[in-house]
Amino acid sequence: MTWTSLNPWVATPEIFLLCAVCAILLIDLFISDAKRGITYVLTLLTLGVTAALVVAGHEPQARLGFSNSFLADALSDYAKLGMILGVALVLVYGRSYAKARGLYRGEFFTLALFSLLGMMVMASAVNFLTLYVGLELMSLSIYAMVALNRDSFASTEAAMKYFVLGALASGMLLYGMSMLYGATGTLDVFAIAKAIQQGSANNLLVVFGLVFVVTGLGFKFGAVPFHMWVPDVYQGAPTPMTQLISTAPKIAVFVFTLRVLAQALEGFAPDWRGMLMILAVLSIGLGNITAIAQTNIKRMFGYSTISHMGFVLLGILVATPNGYAASFFYVMSYLLMGAAGFGVLMLLSREGFEADQIADLKGLNQRSPWFALMMLFTMFSMAGIPVFLGFFAKLSVLKEIVNMQMVWLAVVAVAFSLIGAFYYLRVVKVMYFDNPESSEPLIAGFDAKVVLSINCLLLLVLGLMPNTLMTVLIDAVQRSIIPGVH
Amino acid sequence: MDMKSIYLLIPLAPLFGALIAGLFGWLIGRRAAHCVTIAGVAVSFGLSAYVLQYLLAGGESFNGTVYTWLTVNGVDLNVGFLVDNLTAMMMCVVTFVSLMVHLYTIGYMHEDPGYQRFFSYISLFTFSMLMLVMSNNFVQLFFGWEAVGLVSYLLIGFWFKRPTATFANLKAFLVNRVGDFGFLLGIGLVLAHFGSLDYAEVFAKAPELQNATISILPGTTWSLMTVTCILLFIGAMGKSAQFPLHVWLPDSMEGPTPISALIHAATMVTAGIFMVSRMSPLFEMSETALNFVLVIGAITALFMGFLGIIQNDIKRVVAYSTLSQLGYMTVALGASAYSVAVFHLMTHAFFKALLFLAAGSVIMGMHHDQDIRNMGGLRKYMKITWITSLLGSLALIGTPFLSGFYSKDSIILAVQASTLPGAGFAYFAVVAGVFVTAFYSFRMYFLVFHGKEQWMQKDHHHAHDADAHDEDEHHHGLGPNDKPHESPWVVTLPLVLLAIPSVLIGAWAMTPMLVGDFFKDVIFVNHDLHGAMAAVGEHAEDWYHMGMHAFVTLPFWLAVAGVASAYFFYMVKPEIPAALDRFFTSIGVKKLLEEKYYMDHLYINGFAAGGRALGTVLWKVGDTLLIDGLVVNGTAKLVGLFSNLTRRIQSGYIYHYAFAMILGALLLLTIWLGGLLQVQ
Amino acid sequence: MDMSLAIFYVFAVVLVFAAFRVITAKNPVHAVLYLVLSFFNSAVLWMLMKAEFLAVSLIVIYVGAVMVLFLFVVMMLDINFEKLRQSFWKFLPVAGTVAAIMLAEMVLILTHRYAKIDNVVEPSFDTASAEVLGKLIYTEYFLPFQLSAVLLLVGMVAAIALTLRKRKNTKYINPGDQIRIKREDRVRMVKMKSEPKFVADDASAGEDKPAA
Repeated sequence: MTWTSLNPWVATPEIFLLCAVCAILLIDLFISDAKRGITYVLTLLTLGVTAALVVAGHEPQARLGFSNSFLADALSDYAKLGMILGVALVLVYGRSYAKARGLYRGEFFTLALFSLLGMMVMASAVNFLTLYVGLELMSLSIYAMVALNRDSFASTEAAMKYFVLGALASGMLLYGMSMLYGATGTLDVFAIAKAIQQGSANNLLVVFGLVFVVTGLGFKFGAVPFHMWVPDVYQGAPTPMTQLISTAPKIAVFVFTLRVLAQALEGFAPDWRGMLMILAVLSIGLGNITAIAQTNIKRMFGYSTISHMGFVLLGILVATPNGYAASFFYVMSYLLMGAAGFGVLMLLSREGFEADQIADLKGLNQRSPWFALMMLFTMFSMAGIPVFLGFFAKLSVLKEIVNMQMVWLAVVAVAFSLIGAFYYLRVVKVMYFDNPESSEPLIAGFDAKVVLSINCLLLLVLGLMPNTLMTVLIDAVQRSIIPGVH
Repeated sequence: MDMKSIYLLIPLAPLFGALIAGLFGWLIGRRAAHCVTIAGVAVSFGLSAYVLQYLLAGGESFNGTVYTWLTVNGVDLNVGFLVDNLTAMMMCVVTFVSLMVHLYTIGYMHEDPGYQRFFSYISLFTFSMLMLVMSNNFVQLFFGWEAVGLVSYLLIGFWFKRPTATFANLKAFLVNRVGDFGFLLGIGLVLAHFGSLDYAEVFAKAPELQNATISILPGTTWSLMTVTCILLFIGAMGKSAQFPLHVWLPDSMEGPTPISALIHAATMVTAGIFMVSRMSPLFEMSETALNFVLVIGAITALFMGFLGIIQNDIKRVVAYSTLSQLGYMTVALGASAYSVAVFHLMTHAFFKALLFLAAGSVIMGMHHDQDIRNMGGLRKYMKITWITSLLGSLALIGTPFLSGFYSKDSIILAVQASTLPGAGFAYFAVVAGVFVTAFYSFRMYFLVFHGKEQWMQKDHHHAHDADAHDEDEHHHGLGPNDKPHESPWVVTLPLVLLAIPSVLIGAWAMTPMLVGDFFKDVIFVNHDLHGAMAAVGEHAEDWYHMGMHAFVTLPFWLAVAGVASAYFFYMVKPEIPAALDRFFTSIGVKKLLEEKYYMDHLYINGFAAGGRALGTVLWKVGDTLLIDGLVVNGTAKLVGLFSNLTRRIQSGYIYHYAFAMILGALLLLTIWLGGLLQVQ
Repeated sequence: MDMSLAIFYVFAVVLVFAAFRVITAKNPVHAVLYLVLSFFNSAVLWMLMKAEFLAVSLIVIYVGAVMVLFLFVVMMLDINFEKLRQSFWKFLPVAGTVAAIMLAEMVLILTHRYAKIDNVVEPSFDTASAEVLGKLIYTEYFLPFQLSAVLLLVGMVAAIALTLRKRKNTKYINPGDQIRIKREDRVRMVKMKSEPKFVADDASAGEDKPAA
């Protein structure tokens, strides 16, 4: 162990984040409820500096640190930027909402930052132990955030379900990892890949462990049949927490999956491709179909997330750098779409009123034409209507699938997406053609309104120039994941 | 500021104006709306003039990509500009006429509630048209092509509460679809065989493919160039209203007069002519395609002129005249005299915009009565309108030394020298057309500005109240005791400003454009095969001599004869046209002309009705019964059923959820277990 | 069959039995005690793997501290576990079948001859395992170790955030406020005319009853 092998500078953003969150934890103790804005600003500032550190530390070649258990490469850097953005959007959109419900407390911010720390560790970890601790750090913070509204029975119940099922999934993941350790004798991602390549691994145990690892990952993605927690937690959790669950962690889990499946278990691609295929088809199918029967829009978004994650899995199972890049593009796009959707819902909520039914959007066009338009963009983008970002996300995944001669899979995905377009368009119909049930003005901070507008417009703008984002992400994945080289 | 930014600014300035006026028109009011759009177009015009001057002074032409929208299978879809002399000239014409029309609109539309919307549309049109002419690739060309079509559609139906207007815009839209279909197929062929959509690359590759053939029907081989060019030209036929896709243009007069001048006379309808000139390297490789172009143009030039004679609506007379003139330009294209076609395009843009705007001024003076039989003697009341109209009409019929003369005579010379099989017919058509043009132009002129004040008579003709909006506020036409009055300065100023180039620009621009090297490296002509340009060049060396020489040529005397017979028929002996009318009615010719050669019948009762009948059958059987009944509703029911089922599985019990997870893991384990134990 | 294998099987069987009883015991106190038993057995298994420091700390921390705390909580809470477990017996046949299949498959794979690991790394220390562990934790596993500390911090923050709150139905009163109270804040004197005689009927009599 030397200073060189420790090389702590690769984790500068994480180290800063940890120090900052501890500082905020202490500072917040001395701040009265009325001055909570200070914590809010400090938190956003922390996010900004963390992002700046990620950008400043970005180098073309990958850098290892902490005795080869931490890797800063292009993939992790871009993923981290996405996560930081995701968490920042949660805080900005959720501020008024949290205020109106007594959730505007220091823990709301610190737990969000702790979960971000967990996600960032997940993105960079290349050792199963570190990966697992990162995952738990993220999950535990989010469980607590879901339960933060103790007065709400639904939230408490959701947190309980999430926690118990999450613990079960973690157990399975850990069991699978221990099998992989047994089979290869190491916990290091690259060492595992090397052992498999050299044939010194026990193949039977690897596949056995793989089943449990995929189960654990499937839970975090919310893929069918490990999806059962999704609708209940989405509905029960306070809306900012729902937004958090549905956006940034998906990027973390995506990178986690690439580290475990694409990098460590690259040699077993035929096996995990089959498993992911089952999960993907079930997710896209069941997610889209069940979403139709929902009247609660948060629950509907839950099923919608399930189907979107099916698409992400489709891209991963292509098992080529281009396929991973398409999935990366998809999770990044979904981050923007999901944030926008929940952002509008929080805009409609106010003290004592929870906008969580599709009917609550009735006649939004008459109450606020601008935000009705923004929601329209979001819905169109989620439905995958051309020129919006979501269309290109779906297109890039489908293109890779077709390139791999799996046309039937693409056809199934498109067919279910078409069914899915129904429930997105129903939201649009309700907004534009139904009469409003309430005429309350939309309460939200100026910052939230501006950021939300930019967020929704981005769905259109990035859709008009999909190549810009796509090229960057392809480049990141290609630099980070090189098949056959460990 | 470098040239690239200037090129970018030229189309973006009107777009900015359009967006401001369109999105915030309700907020900023009428005055600000017209100020911002006029400023945008004025900037655009100023810069266009600068660009033209820069290029004339020997500046480099520009061809480059501004932005790559996306890449599909190695083909880039770009936004790019090609700015050479042809483009610069088109840009100047478009922005100048547009600027005049913007000014004019302040006066013409000042009572209309859709004032801001109108300004937004015409600025948007200017943007689209600039994108079309500045394009350096087929995709952007098509974008501009569709965008001008869209704005045209919106403007024809500007008074969308009137059924005639909505019918007319639907008709324009559908007829243009036919043309666009051909155009798109043409672009598709280009992409398929040239592997690129960039002009420069396509033209560079053209000589290799000169003799390439394709087989569309089994057993036939067609020249690739011919098929491509004819398909592209079909697009031009739609947009430039060539026979038989011309039917939408007369009906488009339902739109407000300023846009008739801008879109349906000066700019958009000439897009087809511009496109064919731009594609000259391709068209030069196919004799068949050129001949096709020539014949279509000749038919349009002559037969549309005939229809102008029997029209009584002032705008429709000008509209048929536009059709006929577009035919002239097409004839020039067919004769490989592309620069002549573009030259005529330019002169025509000025004098036809002038004539339309003057017609609009007359309509305002007549309180929105458009029937020329109700007018007469207006020269006493509307002096500026009268003088400028006269100049415009003289330019149109080709009076020596006026701009129309140089361009039209050059066309006639070019056709005369052409050796294509259809050249004989085309020559007859364009020469006979001179007489027809002179006759209908001066019939209108005399009826409007000379003779007795007809509105003072009791029996009003109520033909066609095209501009009759605001039914409640306006009385239509003048009462016997009313006096028409001259229009405000915002209306007359554009008339004067347009009259100047209508008179002068022909003499000034002819020699450089037709003989000099203005179009060198821009328009490609195979001089060995097509000698028309050489023949024109002999005469076009000197504007003065060409003008003097005209007095001993046939077209000049035909024009004089046209004017004279119009004067005789409508001023001296009005009984004669009445008698002729009865005669032609008895032999059925009148009916033929009134029904516009039955083209509308064919389209509406033939194609449209047939299509609708077929559609109805398919709808009833295919859609309602099979697709809606079985497929859609059936699927929807199935999905709904399944959806409810899966919703029930979501019981809310945590142990159910955990159980599902374990079952999932078990499923994966079981599937892979079998394989595992076998493989090992 | 050597001695350590025999010890392993004995303690493993007891461990499985104890774990099964944790979830089937009717009395929650018994369940906790069975959990303690299972911890002891796991500790012995770790001891067999020469991880004596971990084995000892498992007993000290979990049995000595955590489980005792747990026992207090269970004793103080009045929860009818039998009611909660009703559906447990109802679903046992289905769940048991699935569990049996799962078990069978796992046994099938893990006892397969190819599942045997050849290159087992036997831990070999010169010094006590605690020392080796300490060195590893602060060198090779520095990052996960520190992150575990963060994880515990999050646990603490979360626990405080979820429990430290003002209850809605709390009867707590601030003595300072009580002392500062003035008569005017509580009693309002109203002058009014004397009312006519009060007529009591059945309905009003019913209302007078205190709510049960």
